[in-house]
Amino acid sequence: MAVSFPEGDLRTRLQRYLDGLDNRHGLEESEILDDVVRVVASPGDVPAVLATARETLGIPHLSFITVVDRRGSFELTYELIDFRGGTVRVKTTIEGDEPVIGTVTGVYPTANWHEREAYDMFGVAFAGHPDLRRTYMWQDHFDHHPLLKSFEISTKRTFEGLR
Amino acid sequence: MLSEERRAHHEGALTEPASSRLVSPDIRDEFGLETIDMNMGPQHPAMHGLLRLILELDGETVVRCDPVMGYLHRCQEKIAENRMYPAVIPLTDRLDYFANMHNEHGYVLAVEDLLDVEIPPRAEYIRVLMCELMRLASHIPSIGFLMLELGAFTPILYAFRERERIQSIFEAVTGARMMFHYIRIGGVKADLPPDIPQKIWDYIESLEDHFQRDFVDLIAENEIFISRTRNVGKMTQEQAIEMGVTGPALRCTGVDFDIRRDYPYSIYPELEFDVITDTAGDVEASYRVRIAECLQSIRLIKQCLEKMPEGEVMGDLGRRLRPEEGDGFGRVESPRGEFAVHVVSDGSDTPYRVHYRDPSFCNMQLLQEVIPGHYLPDIMPIMGLVDPVSGGWDK
Repeated sequence: MAVSFPEGDLRTRLQRYLDGLDNRHGLEESEILDDVVRVVASPGDVPAVLATARETLGIPHLSFITVVDRRGSFELTYELIDFRGGTVRVKTTIEGDEPVIGTVTGVYPTANWHEREAYDMFGVAFAGHPDLRRTYMWQDHFDHHPLLKSFEISTKRTFEGLR
Repeated sequence: MLSEERRAHHEGALTEPASSRLVSPDIRDEFGLETIDMNMGPQHPAMHGLLRLILELDGETVVRCDPVMGYLHRCQEKIAENRMYPAVIPLTDRLDYFANMHNEHGYVLAVEDLLDVEIPPRAEYIRVLMCELMRLASHIPSIGFLMLELGAFTPILYAFRERERIQSIFEAVTGARMMFHYIRIGGVKADLPPDIPQKIWDYIESLEDHFQRDFVDLIAENEIFISRTRNVGKMTQEQAIEMGVTGPALRCTGVDFDIRRDYPYSIYPELEFDVITDTAGDVEASYRVRIAECLQSIRLIKQCLEKMPEGEVMGDLGRRLRPEEGDGFGRVESPRGEFAVHVVSDGSDTPYRVHYRDPSFCNMQLLQEVIPGHYLPDIMPIMGLVDPVSGGWDK
């Protein structure tokens, strides 16, 4: 059985995504810029926003989840693409040192490993994730999350004098 | 060639989905049957790179498959945070080491998204030329690996003969055979040597002559190949999309998605090519998709060589790169699927954060979904369908 994708002109499609997300969730700071719908949501809203994107708007693919450690808060970017030129980028910021956010594996099953990676590298706890294990680092006897800014590497840059 | 009778035999060989082979746990308990856990890899002669699969076996049928990664992890993203922007490019070569040019291109696009820099048209043509040669140098060996896993030794020799010739072209252009560091922010490192366009043209013509003979006639109608790959690793479009699969593994199910066409970058909008799809969604279909994509790459290379303008190959950048604060995104179609890079800048000369979305990593989720129900020897052809590269999934 063939899967259908969102149809129509790119501009109207993007506007439809923006309106769909805005009306449903009352998001502030949402805009369309260069073929990308940029949306800022609060951490609690993210699973619901992505569920709207998947089920109501029919965006099929979660491309990646990026976590950025902002020293004191964590910024998460969810990149959704509709396979036909349109992109929806959902950003959220979690305050504090022990980030917790709801999982989106129920909406986009591919998020499973992306969330595992984010947990491994940053210690972001995805509540409700079916199988939150480390992907790359050791399963036991290793309590660190290497991509945190507080995790110092031993070989600091050696070209300090050249700057 | 197969006789009609044998062909009908293979068509009907596996009409039930593979998962119907699984016995329910209740029946196993009733007869006192046990499953065994087995490790396949990380050091396994047939495995793609360093991958460990934890398998639960019921006789010879796989009940559960759990890939374990991290044996080649280098924390590339952390290293990138401590280097200046141009110094990250040689690291990206070490990601997916069968698609080095695409990794460089993806990272460079992300940084150029942050900067306001104009790329000379000749540099764009050289980038696409190199990326398409790289796609040939990745697809042809991956067909060879698939055949090697089925026990045929000849195709891998033919495949590496072709890869070797492409690598010597790369060596003449970039100075390196694998770790190129050729695509730079703002252009490419150096112009093509004067005799290289003709050499590429001659090579492509000769490849066209014997491609059908060596990689299609030898393999496609072979009875052993068909019986080992047809209906093996069968997946639906829904499964593939749910698991986040991209690239040939997605297109072999019939989903018409190619970043070169749908999220155009560089000069792809000016070039003519077809997006190849197949409907079967099994290992054989992925082989057919890769074969047809090789022919499309040949077509693209010829167009690049014909249309290539004269001029500079490096834009004007200044000596030190300090992009403004913000996010940069780059997305390219690597031989394995969607390779995306997200670079976060804080205004200094080192990236604040670099995130790679590597297709090998995302496509491998398919293994958990597709392998259960298959026999143990079918795992290797399915790995040939997914075609992951160790450096890619482990970053």
